[in-house]
Amino acid sequence: MVTAGVDVGAKTIKIIILRNGRIIGQTIIPAGYDVRESMKAAWADVLSKAGVQLNQIDRIISTGAGRKEVAEANDQITEVSAVARGAIALDPRIRTVVDVGAEEGRAIQINAVGQVLDFAINEKCAAGTGAFTEAMARALEVTIDQLGPLSLRSTKAVAMNAQCAVFAESELVTLVHSKTSKPDMARAVHDAIADRIVSLVRRVGMEKEVLLVGGVARNVGFVESLKRELDTEIFIPETPETVSAYGAALLATGK
Amino acid sequence: MIEMFQAWYENRHAYAKEWKEKTGGKVLGYFCTPIPEEIVYAALILPVRILDHHEPPSLGRDGLFCRDSLAPGLQDRYDYLDGILISPSCPQIRQAFTRRPGPVFLPSNFCLTPPHQVRNSQADPAAELSEFKKTIEDWTGKAITDADLDRGIEILDEGHRLLGRAFETRKQDNPPLTGLEAMYLSLTEQWIDKREHNRVLKDVLEKELPTRDLRLGDQIRLMILGSEDDDTEFVTMVESLEAKFVIDDHCSGTRYFWNEVIPAEDRLAAIAARYVDRPPSPAKDWPLRRRLDHLLKLAKDWRAQGAIIIQQKFCDPQELDILALRQALDGVGVPSLFLELDVAVPVSQVKIRVEAFLEMLRPEDLF
Repeated sequence: MVTAGVDVGAKTIKIIILRNGRIIGQTIIPAGYDVRESMKAAWADVLSKAGVQLNQIDRIISTGAGRKEVAEANDQITEVSAVARGAIALDPRIRTVVDVGAEEGRAIQINAVGQVLDFAINEKCAAGTGAFTEAMARALEVTIDQLGPLSLRSTKAVAMNAQCAVFAESELVTLVHSKTSKPDMARAVHDAIADRIVSLVRRVGMEKEVLLVGGVARNVGFVESLKRELDTEIFIPETPETVSAYGAALLATGK
Repeated sequence: MIEMFQAWYENRHAYAKEWKEKTGGKVLGYFCTPIPEEIVYAALILPVRILDHHEPPSLGRDGLFCRDSLAPGLQDRYDYLDGILISPSCPQIRQAFTRRPGPVFLPSNFCLTPPHQVRNSQADPAAELSEFKKTIEDWTGKAITDADLDRGIEILDEGHRLLGRAFETRKQDNPPLTGLEAMYLSLTEQWIDKREHNRVLKDVLEKELPTRDLRLGDQIRLMILGSEDDDTEFVTMVESLEAKFVIDDHCSGTRYFWNEVIPAEDRLAAIAARYVDRPPSPAKDWPLRRRLDHLLKLAKDWRAQGAIIIQQKFCDPQELDILALRQALDGVGVPSLFLELDVAVPVSQVKIRVEAFLEMLRPEDLF
């Protein structure tokens, strides 16, 4: 049986194709403004990697913010259910999933078969998401890839008080003028994001083991802040961005 | 016939203006529900509840309920009011009332401290109502007799009984009313002349509901909980997802009409007792803590499979009760989704959360 999971997120489109439950192709491409055009490019890439045609896929499930844009999908599910299923498949010990993407942060409590027991999603504000790190990287005049390693050189914890991602940028300017070091500011940014994510985790109740997924999982600075706040080991898969697509593809198998 | 309630909901200001022209009567706006409408109806005044308008903030500040209730007044949408009555249910509402710039509402303003707590040997809940009755008599220039009070009580009680009957139908597997329609029924009772509202509702109950088949039998049964809520857009969105609201606990919903006045020689004491005994909001639940048992009974009697708690942003009494509420619901096997809403709701963002919750309630659809 060949199935596919398509995750249309705020920034990227992820597709995973499975044959009998095993990954035979995957892709991540920018979603861009024209999602339909981006979808065509994503399909072309992943089908070529998997060595199958679109009409050879038995079932397609879409997820993510743009899941209704996937004309090829047989069904749609929310990313909460999709990531839960993907997480348990990656590691059956996982009971808490933390998913931090471009615009949403989620904490999900799951059971032994990957069913969602409870979840919490950030309310209205992007101050605990990838969009925040991008804005802060710009303010610090570093690339997003440099932001994480920069924060690991911090020697001092500095509090960020602004509740809002936009006002936080102003607060960074204030820190610059007070001669706070860039590494310390970078750490402050990650601590602020971790604070917000941890409040979501506490709402659903943390149970070990904890899996961190989503694009922001690649940010080593954020991972460090999150570990510190949660005071526990955190597992990160090899491709943290594709766990929702993986879960959707698994659910498409009916299992 | 049932469409009438939606039409009233959408045209409530026009209705009040026409009522005033037709009857020559006074219209009294009020903020929160623990006000003795029985006395207001006894004086043949139309009470009109002031609620928010679910529009993006137009007065330069974020969408607090109290500010969003004040905003339409500043925009002259309530220019038909002859007076405004407030019972200080929370400091925010009281401040919205007292800090209004100039005569936002027309000049007759009343502040009532309603009886809402434990009766003891020193308390005299009827005393406040007696003073309020005198204030209304002075305002209208007409005495309120016992017969007037009996009339006011019966008008209110009949409306509450009829709403109770309508909400009972939602216990059925295939209810003849959607959650949205039920919301229209309870909200419009707070705006429309209850005598007219009662007539139409009685007709709907007797002639329309018994044969209505909305085919809602397979949908997930939900309870909705919160403070004041007339968020029809939110309810419409949820009910578009193969789920139905079968019961609520809102001050604009069941808390408004749940109980009646028990007849007594001392009418004012009987009215006061009704407001003391009604299902409490979290702001009025201490120290007796009756609210949780009441909510669990609602969930049980209406067979709710899940509960959506809509927290009006900055409503502290509601927010501080959320943990106890979620634990209590969890304890009886009713999962809950907590959403914090402003007065204007980004529906697509909220929809994702509701969809995930519904998937959680029906894992057999996924696995």
